[in-house]
This record gives sequence, structure tokens and C-alpha cells, in this order.
Amino acid sequence: MLRMLLNRLAFSILALLFVGLLLFVLTRGVPGSPARVALGLEATDTQIAQFEKDHGLDRPVVEQYIRWLGQLVLHGDFGRSFVTGRSMNALLTETLPITLELVLFAFAFAVAVALPIGVLSAVYEGTWIDHAARIFAVIGVSVPGFWLGLMLIRFPAVEFGWFPPGGFVPLSDGLVAHLQSIALPAFALGVYYIAILSRMTRSGLVETLGSEYVRTARALGLPRGRVLWYALKNALVPVVSVGAMSFGYMFGWALIVEYLFNIPGMSNALLTAVGQRDYFTMQAVVYVFTIVFIVSNLAADLLNRQLNPKLASAQP
Amino acid sequence: MSVAEKRPLAEASHVMAALQRIWQGARLNWATTTGAVIVLVAIGAAIFAPLIAPYDPIEIAIENKLLPPSAEFWLGTDHGGRDILSRVIWGARASLTVSLLAVVIGVTGGVLIGLFAAYHSGSWVEQIVMRAIDAIASIPLLIWAIAIIGIVGVDSVGIGPFTFTNVHKLLILIGLLYMPTLARITHAVAQVEMTSDYVKARRVQGAGNLAIMFGDVLPNCLSPLIVQATLLVAIGIVVEASVSFVGLGVQPPTPSWGSMLADARNYVFSGEWWLPVFPGAAISLTVIGFNLLGDGLRDVLDPRRSTGRLLT
Repeated sequence: MLRMLLNRLAFSILALLFVGLLLFVLTRGVPGSPARVALGLEATDTQIAQFEKDHGLDRPVVEQYIRWLGQLVLHGDFGRSFVTGRSMNALLTETLPITLELVLFAFAFAVAVALPIGVLSAVYEGTWIDHAARIFAVIGVSVPGFWLGLMLIRFPAVEFGWFPPGGFVPLSDGLVAHLQSIALPAFALGVYYIAILSRMTRSGLVETLGSEYVRTARALGLPRGRVLWYALKNALVPVVSVGAMSFGYMFGWALIVEYLFNIPGMSNALLTAVGQRDYFTMQAVVYVFTIVFIVSNLAADLLNRQLNPKLASAQP
Repeated sequence: MSVAEKRPLAEASHVMAALQRIWQGARLNWATTTGAVIVLVAIGAAIFAPLIAPYDPIEIAIENKLLPPSAEFWLGTDHGGRDILSRVIWGARASLTVSLLAVVIGVTGGVLIGLFAAYHSGSWVEQIVMRAIDAIASIPLLIWAIAIIGIVGVDSVGIGPFTFTNVHKLLILIGLLYMPTLARITHAVAQVEMTSDYVKARRVQGAGNLAIMFGDVLPNCLSPLIVQATLLVAIGIVVEASVSFVGLGVQPPTPSWGSMLADARNYVFSGEWWLPVFPGAAISLTVIGFNLLGDGLRDVLDPRRSTGRLLT
């Protein structure tokens, strides 16, 4: 188990190093020096060369990368943007909590709704409840969250005034207003995952309820609720692992949802950086997104092995 | 007649059997049939857009600005007086070009990588290839698509004799990011097939490695690949729409569902409900179509692997 853990950890670190290098090569490989972006079109070649020298941009890409990585690993410092002069750490501490909160809300909401739907759908397999849940699941995985969000802004927010149509109210401005501002985005982000997780819960539980040991337990006269509880514990193993993976994927879609609702999170930082051709900020933000993604995949994998004894002994 | 000469026939019957299974399965299942019909309509709209669109999707006619749906303009008009119906029909072209070609790229690359790794099964080559695939799979698709287009810029890029428009860049990028999933599937199935008796028999017959990999192993990997490819088209449509929505995908004035929604966003307070409703409905319906078709194909072609679905 420990060996497996170390193995997976080592691989995740390697993947992060590789992805970081890829980002560096990409951002440094584009024609046009960052100095040109920072200093503007009127800058002379000497000024550009001086700027590049000052910021180490004239060094080979790999050397720049190692230096950047050293700062990051040793001091937890993402550096400073050449274009805006802003410290990346300040930018990230400002935006990451907002995105994190949005994703956590959406995730909790998705899990809280998906589990009961999946269980009901499995227990009443073949009835109208099951059919309705399955139709909902197909629609849920197909309707893009950002369109759903747009419709939510159009109707509940603008037409009926139940929610603010966008923007983010910090917690310090009142709990109700804060929750209202995050409700629609979290809903738009969560629906896709309700569909996925409820379907997985359903198929897992249907399979478990049909298994020998459940039949034996029923035959022994165990109460229905208790049998269901036992079955659920086993049926949820794959759901937990997919749930953990979903968490990483949700950050990707949060990007679009934040843009739609004008929420000043990480995506706002990324898209602003894209607009300003601020490669340094883009690189930092994308790297943070990728770290979150890799860590949640790692967690999903470990959880899966922990919960699934057959896999736990297998080699990664 | 040697056994080797009989192969094309055997393969043809293999494909026929698969088609027959699809046909029988589809007849039994209304959901799959609905999916197939939606997919055919969307593909038809994309191919025949110039013939069926009632108006020019690009030409501005400011006198028809923001008209609600009517007998003349069935789905209303946008801020440039352009017919929404025509733009939705043309939008199918952008959307399906990106999503279908991305899958073609993903499948081609994924199959080659997967077969290559399976061929070197048990050696360090396989380890390196599959670890590299894992590393690429640890890249979140949407964020990287946005970041890379943000870095490269939305303008056309000329490399040698080729010019890559932003649509080309987007579909190549999505295709590359699809490869790990498809390579893993191919690798997993091919690895099992490689140890089977019929492959050993073919070796004894003296069949070459390439003939075995592409002639024998690949046809047996097709079922799960077809299923996954169909579901990936659905994801590609949403990714294209999302990237176009933030302005980094299909560039105006070319109509695309995502950029139509981006325009609609500016009118969310003023009450032109038809602007966001129809392009979004087009995306949702098409994606439902591909998802229903993919799920149906999985039940028919790949019943044992019917666990979960692809995350994005």
C-alpha cells in the first residue's frame, strides 16, 4: 500500500513537472517577446533587450523554467507578472478562494441531490420515478451549464428578481446576499454532475441489490432499510471515486460559469490575462488549475483503492 | 485456398454482424432511434446549410434588427438583423466540423498509440508510452484549450504551406486532448487480444506484425471505440460552444452557437428571449442526440463495459 502510494505520488509530481515545462515552452515559444507586450509598441530594441536581460528572459527556456520552479517550490512564490507588475501570489489569494467556494458549493449541491435521486431510481427501478430520473440524467449531461446559466439569469434573476443577475457579493456584505449571489452559478455548474452521479448511484445500486448477498440478507429477514444501507455502502464505491474526479473537472467548467456570471474568480484572472497577452499570469493560473486537477485525480485513485480491496493489492 | 485469403471475407462478415446488431438494437430502443434521428438532422443541416437556410447568415440587414419570431423570420433576428434560424443552421456546420474532426484526430492518434503500446506489451516502451499518456490525461481539457488559444492568439497561423484558422487550431487541440482516453481503451482491449489464440494462430501462419495489429486486433477494438467516439462528439460540441462563448473559438462573423450565445448575453436585460433560447436549444438537442446514440450503441456493442460515462 505504501509503495503504491509513493508510486502514484511520484507519478503525479512527474506529471506536474512535465506539464509545467510544456506551459513554459508554449508561453516562451510564441513569436513576440513578453517585453514587447510589457513595454508597448514604441519600445526600442535596446529597451527590449534590457528588459529581457533584467527579467532573465534571454536565458534558455529550461533554465528559466528551473528558476521559476525553484522559486515556487522553495518559497511558494509564483513570481510577478511582467505586464501588470502584480504579484501572482496576491492575485491567487484573491481569486482562488472565490472559485474554490463556487466549486465546493456546486459539488455539495450535486452530491446532495444526486444520491437521493440515484437511490430512489434504483429502489423503484422500472417505475415512473426511475424513468423520470433517467430522462433528467440525459438532459442534465447534455444541456451546457453556461446556457442553463444564461437562462437562469434571463428568467429567475432578471424577469422575477429572485437572484442578482451576476456579480459576486463577498461574505462580509451579509450571508443572505452572499448565498444569493452564488446560488445560480453553483446550480448551473452542478446540474451536469447531478446527472452523472445519480446515474452511477443508480446503476451501482441496481447491480448490488441484485447480488447474492443481498438476496441472502433479505431471505434471512433483515429489514428492508438495513439491507439497502448495506447495499448502498458497496454500491457507492465507484461513485465516490468518480465524485472525487468530478471535483477536478468542475474547475474547468467553473471557468465558463464565472465568466457568464461576472464572478471575480480564477477564470476572470485567466481571461483578463488572455486579453492582455499576459503569459506570465496565464501560466500561473493554468498551473494552479492543473495542480488542483491532478491532486483531485490522485485523491480519487487513492480513495478508490482504499474502498476497493481488490484494487488495493494490485500494482498501479 | 489458404486461410489468409479468406480473411477479407471473414472481416466483412464481422463488420456486417456489428451493423446487424446495431440495427436490431436500434429497432428495439426508441431512445437510440431518437438520438440517431437528431444526429442525422444535425449533420444534414451542417452539410446542406447553403440550400436550406432561408437567409444569408452573415449579411447585416440593420432594418430587421432584433425582430421577434414571426412568419417571415421563424426564430427572430439578432442585433444585426440576421435571421436566427439561418444562423442556427449554419452554426451546425461550425459545431460539427470541430467536434467530428476532433474525434477523427483523437481516434487516429489514440488507436496508433494504443496499438503501439499493446504491441510492445510488457516492455519498457509500453511503460513509457502509457505513462506519457497518463501525463497528458492529467491536463484539464477546457482550461488548456482556452489557455493555448489565448497564448497562440485567435488569428490564423501559417506553418509552412498550411494556414491554420482558429477553428483548425481548436479542433486539433481538442483532438490531441482526446487521444489519451482513446489510446487507453485501444491499449486495454488490444492487450487482451494480443494473447488470444487466434493471434497466435495468425503468427504461426506467418502473418506480419502490421497485418496482425491492423487486420486482426484493431477490428476487435472497434466496438468500445465507436461508443466512446460518439460520446466524445457530444463533449466536443459543448467544448467548442464554451470556447466560442468566451470569444476564443469560432470568430465572427462566422455563425456558431457559442458565439451567438455570447451576443445574446448582451441582451439579457432587455427582453429579447429568442436570442439565447434557440442557439442553446440547438446545442442541447444535438448533444442529447449524440449522447442517446452513444448510450444506445454501448448497450448494443459493448454491454459489459456499461459502467459510468466519460467525465469532462
